[in-house]
Amino acid sequence: MAAIKELSKSLVQPFLAVVIGLLTGALVIAAVGESILGTYQEMWKGAFGSFYFFTSTLARATPIMLIALGLSLAFRAGVFNLGAEGQMVLGAVSAALVAIYLPAPGMIKIVAGIFAGMAVGGFWALLPGFMEARFRIPLLISTLLFNYIAVLFASYLVTEPFRDRSGSAALAQTVMLEKSAWLPKLFAGMSVHAGFLFAIVAALLLFWVLRFTPFGYEVKMLGQNSLFAQYGGINRIRVMLTGMFASGGLAGLAGTVEVMGAHYRFVDGALTVPGFAWTGLMAALLANSHPLGIIVTSILLAAFQTGAMGVERNTDVPLELASVIQAVLILFISAKFSYDWWKKRKAKGGESHGAL
Amino acid sequence: MTDRLEMRGMTKKYGDFTANDKVSFSLAAGEVHAIVGENGAGKTTLMRMLYGMEQPTSGEIVLNGKPVVFRGPEDAIRNGIGMVHQHFMLFGEFSVTENIVIGYEPKQAGFFKRKDAEDKVRALSEQYRIPIHPQAKVANCSIGEQQRVEILKVLYQGADIIVLDEPTAVLTPLEVRDLLQTIRNLAESGKSVILITHKLQEVMEVADRITVLRGGKVTGTVSRTETNTDDLARLMVGRELQELAERVPLDKGPLLQVENLTVREKQTLLDQVSFTVHHGEIVGIAGVSGNGQSELLQAISGLRTAQEGTVRLGGNDVTNKSVATIRDAGLAHIPEDRYLWGAAKLSSVEENALMGYQRKPAYNRRGVVLREKFRQVVKGWVEQFAIKTGSRQLQELAGNLSGGNLQKLIVARELGQETPFLIAAEPTRGVDIGAMEYIHQALIEKRNQGDGILLVSSELSEILALSDRILVMYKGRIAGELSRLEATEEKISVIMAGGSIHGSNQRAI
Amino acid sequence: MELFDWSLLSSTIRMVTPILLAALGGALCARVGIFNVGLEGLVLVGAFSAIVGNHFTGNLFLAVLIAALVSIVFSLLFAYMTIRLRANEIVIGVAINFLALGLTTFALRAIFGVKGAFYDKDMAGLPTVEIPFIHDIPVIGGIISGHSPLVYFAFLVAILLYVFFYRTVTGFRVLAVGLNPVAARSLGLKVTGLQVLAIVMSGALCGIAGAQLSLGQVTMFTEGMTAGRGFIALVAMMMGQSHPLGILASSLLFGLMDALSIRLQGFSLPTQFTAMLPYVLTIAAMFFLKNKSQIGSDNQQSTR
Repeated sequence: MAAIKELSKSLVQPFLAVVIGLLTGALVIAAVGESILGTYQEMWKGAFGSFYFFTSTLARATPIMLIALGLSLAFRAGVFNLGAEGQMVLGAVSAALVAIYLPAPGMIKIVAGIFAGMAVGGFWALLPGFMEARFRIPLLISTLLFNYIAVLFASYLVTEPFRDRSGSAALAQTVMLEKSAWLPKLFAGMSVHAGFLFAIVAALLLFWVLRFTPFGYEVKMLGQNSLFAQYGGINRIRVMLTGMFASGGLAGLAGTVEVMGAHYRFVDGALTVPGFAWTGLMAALLANSHPLGIIVTSILLAAFQTGAMGVERNTDVPLELASVIQAVLILFISAKFSYDWWKKRKAKGGESHGAL
Repeated sequence: MTDRLEMRGMTKKYGDFTANDKVSFSLAAGEVHAIVGENGAGKTTLMRMLYGMEQPTSGEIVLNGKPVVFRGPEDAIRNGIGMVHQHFMLFGEFSVTENIVIGYEPKQAGFFKRKDAEDKVRALSEQYRIPIHPQAKVANCSIGEQQRVEILKVLYQGADIIVLDEPTAVLTPLEVRDLLQTIRNLAESGKSVILITHKLQEVMEVADRITVLRGGKVTGTVSRTETNTDDLARLMVGRELQELAERVPLDKGPLLQVENLTVREKQTLLDQVSFTVHHGEIVGIAGVSGNGQSELLQAISGLRTAQEGTVRLGGNDVTNKSVATIRDAGLAHIPEDRYLWGAAKLSSVEENALMGYQRKPAYNRRGVVLREKFRQVVKGWVEQFAIKTGSRQLQELAGNLSGGNLQKLIVARELGQETPFLIAAEPTRGVDIGAMEYIHQALIEKRNQGDGILLVSSELSEILALSDRILVMYKGRIAGELSRLEATEEKISVIMAGGSIHGSNQRAI
Repeated sequence: MELFDWSLLSSTIRMVTPILLAALGGALCARVGIFNVGLEGLVLVGAFSAIVGNHFTGNLFLAVLIAALVSIVFSLLFAYMTIRLRANEIVIGVAINFLALGLTTFALRAIFGVKGAFYDKDMAGLPTVEIPFIHDIPVIGGIISGHSPLVYFAFLVAILLYVFFYRTVTGFRVLAVGLNPVAARSLGLKVTGLQVLAIVMSGALCGIAGAQLSLGQVTMFTEGMTAGRGFIALVAMMMGQSHPLGILASSLLFGLMDALSIRLQGFSLPTQFTAMLPYVLTIAAMFFLKNKSQIGSDNQQSTR
């Protein structure tokens, strides 16, 4: 019961942010001279208008959700991992290469691909974590810069050594996975695939870990006051590195399921152009890093995007409407922080009565 | 003598809590008026209202016969009121001069005339006989000099009324003497001084009048010549102090053995420190804060690496081991700063209590923390220590607890570990007298059970009341050791200031 | 083509300008105790606004002014969120970056009706300034002379900022606010006002940085054309310890890397590796940062 109460409480603020985001979106639509109501109707249709669109939204929500879950773990530990993009892309390219070149039956390819994708994503995240722990290099910056390196490196891999040179396509991409190594679709003819189930399971698992296990407690304490955590015997570096590894692993999994369930190959730019990583970041912030909340916020943000595609198909409003709404959302999710601040101030006031 | 300042019927409420209840106070020109009271008596609230940092719920401030309202510190400063805060409001990176003139800098066309500023500061320093080095970087100044910078700053700002908030808490006995002299000088040159403190000896040395606060109310305003420390103590506390429990003589051998412990960063912070804490013994560490006490505790508890020396706890070598390992070897730790080290303000009381227990087999089953089982234990602590947690009980945020209640929670958590050895650093800092007595009793009881305690406190009275043996730290070394019988406040003070005394078991410096 | 020659230094000076301006802007914020991750977005908005301004007014001075003003508006949003609403400055910085990316892309479609990039061959870029005398000196003239006015402006700002911090009363107070806001407030200094002032100045500098990016040499706008320069500016700021002259030095280093990575494209290396160079070198540079603790540990505390 407490969990449900906490969940609903943590959803009040995102709801307000969504309302403000939609209002801003309305301003932008008006600026382009389109009908606000009509545009939002198209958006709704594009996201949820039919079973096909609905499953497309879920398919799009899958990588977003996995990335958001990984980030939420890092955020809770007080680590600002902004490197999900690089972790996802490197995970994806590794998974693709393993699934293509490992001489094994399909099922093994899938398992090995997933394993490779998570491991590579995890280790790529571990590196900045280690750099922060050992050399005090700010993780916020290093993870960001690592994104550029990872994306460029993956791009190099598929333009030079592992490029698919069979087809006429000018795209930099690997050859296609053999069919036995594809993740199954959940419904025939629909785009949502087994990766969505992985994401849901990951959310439940993460919720359980954070809420009930000693590790979850230690993550939370480390995030709230790292000196207190260290004083209490929590190994800051170990928890931080574990958090980073898991965080990167989930981002790697996000890339992996896109490769194995949607594209069936690694295509340069196919993961970065839709901005999965940044949308994942927003989903995590919107849900205040709550794993179950992330299920909701990921689907919501995915719906904005698939909805905006519908809008673009049927009106003159550009697709980027979604980006604007999302950015405003995230800007106003900060109102939550002001509430925290108010609480902090109250806490401080409480102290002064006692101590002065 | 006309009153320069009068505060009438000052009341300040925070919700249901009344911090000041119809407090009246007056101050004449050239007078030193002390305000004394226990922690939580409302001294600082009163001064924050005078300084414009808080608005009174009711009451009025009359300055030179005219009622005034201060919307912020700048109003107070403009009206000649200066405050020297307990925690200095200084910029360590700036020079002494810059710190004194900031906000009222001599300037020309927007450019800061540092030379003029320095001349003015020098003149001011000579006028009031307050020695400073105008060009020195404040971070490199001693605490005593930093305080002089603060005093010169309020004089530079043109203050006629100077408020000193617990000015002697951080000073060596020698520096205290200088400060009291400075206060007298200021009064003689016509300034009025409000001295907030809880140290009665100092009050008796320097104050003209004394106002005593208790529980937010004035319990008396007396002239120094008509009172003594005992009367003041009675007015402050309002009842007889509880006697501490009988201490049972015990000696069951060494528990904590520290040998040649040395911590260096840029300079040597802890220098070849050796001592032993036995079972059934409280060893007190006295000293002006910043003489290596924090580093010693951190090195013992695994929060800081020692470059030399060994720490043995209960026979195990725990030198530079992890905090968890040392805690497992039998250490519990009441940290010196409860907000910095001891709690997570945005977590619940229950989660704060769980620290250190989350991996104990008693509260774990199949990888899950048994929160319900643990909750019962915390409920026991709350009852036993009379911790007021507020409406949400164990789910209340720790940051919403008063300082004293949070401290009691931390003490309960660490005593609950039932370890043979306990570090108690400033165990009663900022808590009210009831909580203080309770914590002292608990420490004595633990000692009587045969456990060892290393007590660090900047309050000599606390050290003297609790310790079986007293070590005095000075500049990272143990400068002297005194037994319970031979220790007096005077003797400790001398060693704290780097002096030596005849007849004590003093070590080579 | 030679890897190193004198024209490399000339292009370094050109490449350094946006980084230097943004880093100085970041330093202004850092000096009042605010870590501005939104530099990237502010520069991007500036770059776009400069093109829009140029397109509609046809006046380069107005275009740069518009870039500065629009970035100031965004920086005010940042200030309101972080100071007034006490929002987490990193989250707001990230959001500003996003909003900048979303709005510029959206507006690119809405205003110019194009996707990806806007280029107008009739649009004039910033003129070059040929400094008398110096221009005629061999080698040095080629390096120093012949840049856009904003290049010289950037170097001038570094020096002016130095004078501001260490010679003026307002600058002194700005430093005080960053060093100890509690003490500054207790003195009655207008802490909030000084913080907003610093953020607004930072916005103006970022806007001008953007103008140099879009009008300085290419005269075009592409989606996300800042390509992480705002973050590199952050690192330059940290490396220069928020000291204007230190930042000048560290920015020159990054400008050199930028120039080098373009130069390397002429060699037979894969383009991905040459493009990677500035980021790899930035990371390498961070190993030598002196006051890492300042940013690293603060982030630890303020992320949630």
